[in-house]
Amino acid sequence: MTQKRITYGVVILLSLIFPFITPDPQFWVSSGGTRALWLGVAALSMSFLNRNLGLMSLGQLFFSGIAGYIVAISSVDHNVKFGTSVPLAILAGTLSGVIIGFIALKTKGVYFFMLTLAVTLGLYSYANQAQEITGGHTGINSIPSPIIFGIDFAYVKPLYYLFLAIAILLFSLCKFLEQTSFGIALQAVRDNEDRMISMGYRTTYLKMLAFIFSSFIASIAGVMGVFYVTNISPASVGLIRSIDLLVIVVVGGATYLGGAFVGAVLIAVFEAIIQDFTSYYVGATGILFIAVLLLAPQGLMGVASQIRSRLNKPGLSK
Amino acid sequence: MTQFVFTFLNGITLAGLYFLVASGLTLIFGLMRVINLAHGAFYLLAGYVSWTIADKTGNWLYGALAGSLTVAIFGTLVYVLLLRKFQYEELRVALITLGVSLVLAQAMLAIFGGEYYQTNIPKSLSNTIPVPGLGLSYPFFRIFVLILAIVVAIGLWLFISKTRYGAIIRAGVDDTKMVSALGINVQAVFTWIFFLGSLLVGFAGAVGGTTNSFGMGTDGDYLLFSLQVVIIGGLGSIGGVAIGSFLVGVIGQFATGYFPTFAGIITFAMLILILAFRPQGILGKKL
Repeated sequence: MTQKRITYGVVILLSLIFPFITPDPQFWVSSGGTRALWLGVAALSMSFLNRNLGLMSLGQLFFSGIAGYIVAISSVDHNVKFGTSVPLAILAGTLSGVIIGFIALKTKGVYFFMLTLAVTLGLYSYANQAQEITGGHTGINSIPSPIIFGIDFAYVKPLYYLFLAIAILLFSLCKFLEQTSFGIALQAVRDNEDRMISMGYRTTYLKMLAFIFSSFIASIAGVMGVFYVTNISPASVGLIRSIDLLVIVVVGGATYLGGAFVGAVLIAVFEAIIQDFTSYYVGATGILFIAVLLLAPQGLMGVASQIRSRLNKPGLSK
Repeated sequence: MTQFVFTFLNGITLAGLYFLVASGLTLIFGLMRVINLAHGAFYLLAGYVSWTIADKTGNWLYGALAGSLTVAIFGTLVYVLLLRKFQYEELRVALITLGVSLVLAQAMLAIFGGEYYQTNIPKSLSNTIPVPGLGLSYPFFRIFVLILAIVVAIGLWLFISKTRYGAIIRAGVDDTKMVSALGINVQAVFTWIFFLGSLLVGFAGAVGGTTNSFGMGTDGDYLLFSLQVVIIGGLGSIGGVAIGSFLVGVIGQFATGYFPTFAGIITFAMLILILAFRPQGILGKKL
């Protein structure tokens, strides 16, 4: 436990001083740090579900997309203030989790995965078609940055610290929830749902709550995305972006909450570096993804324990 | 009236194409529990290859053959090299195929660029046929696609449920060890199923690349159509794919024709509605 606390302390400290120690801060704080935090929060909503319910969802971008489009449309087309539009968007994204969850939670495993993928692709095709609402293929551009207490978040460093605060808050919230009786019940449902039903738990209700919570995180990530990228288009909820998130979760380690951020940092840095050399970023990510799946299914967070178990194998087999 | 008839014809012929696309997906899943999410990318690959060969040789059939075989071989290689080892880990396999689709999409973008292509309809099939009662005509090739889909549907059903090979396949799925013990090479059987499933989507790509244009992003679209079709119809059932294709094709076309802004939403609402009552799809086995 103390070792874990030290790790968290070091990571938080490093993230706090990162803008001051990195070379070329204008580029790396934004393309490395802020981007990783945004993608990390989006991936966190997937990791939370996978870890506690054993369900891999590609529907998280649907919630992000709903929230993102609401903020973008209301602020650009209708001049609504962020103070109103952001909470509304997060609420709407979270509530759409009720509808999707009602359907999706009836399925398991690869069906759940496919269904949530179809949900996201459905939003993509709608966003592409509904020109007059979503701006069609080009989407909605030049979304203004928020100004809170006189701080303009159009600047690189304020946005980074805002995202860092959100990320730490949500990560801690997930960790906290996992230790409550709710979280423990969830993990029990994941391991043996029938037994939990026979013990009198209303498992559908528990799963629904977890799903809604994950869509809440995804909605926040959607709003973060709008502020970071300053535009939103069907590509923001497209197949490639869905797979990007999946890559982050799997590469980082899908059964660890921290894996979301480890994966996000890795992918953000990978993207930033490879963009200078080649336009084959997507293909390169694909190869990395396949390699991780073939060689280290537990992801980077799991590599240490994977090596340990391999070293121990010749001696005592458990 | 004219619009109604044409929308219906478009819908039902599109349903034929969807059936061809999704039948490979459901065949592989139904028999092997392997879900191939590179299915859309396979479709697009077949489209590009058929276009290239048809363009070079001037013969549509050569193009279609080349496209189908390329995808069949590519799919078999993916199965043997990447998937076979993890065949019983459903999600891991699904994820690996997603990775394959990324790599494939990028490679195709690098080779063929961002333009859209469409293969020319073969001369012998490029005539139109009159629609009775309306005094208008409809392209014969689209009707031909529907006929092809029906032929493939009947052929697949006969093959799986009436032949000795079909029996081996079904037995190999139900009890792999027992069938191996009878001296049948189950690994080879599975490899052939993957070959056949990929061949089907390859053929669909060749046909679909003639009726509709294709290019960057088509892989995602057709992955979505196939998923919708198999989710609605029930994964793993050929009959389910037929019903799913019909619903997605016809309702999708009516939605696009009459309420263009909400077309995506209407198909989607149908999917949600069906799943709310039957999570396993219309003809799917209980989850």
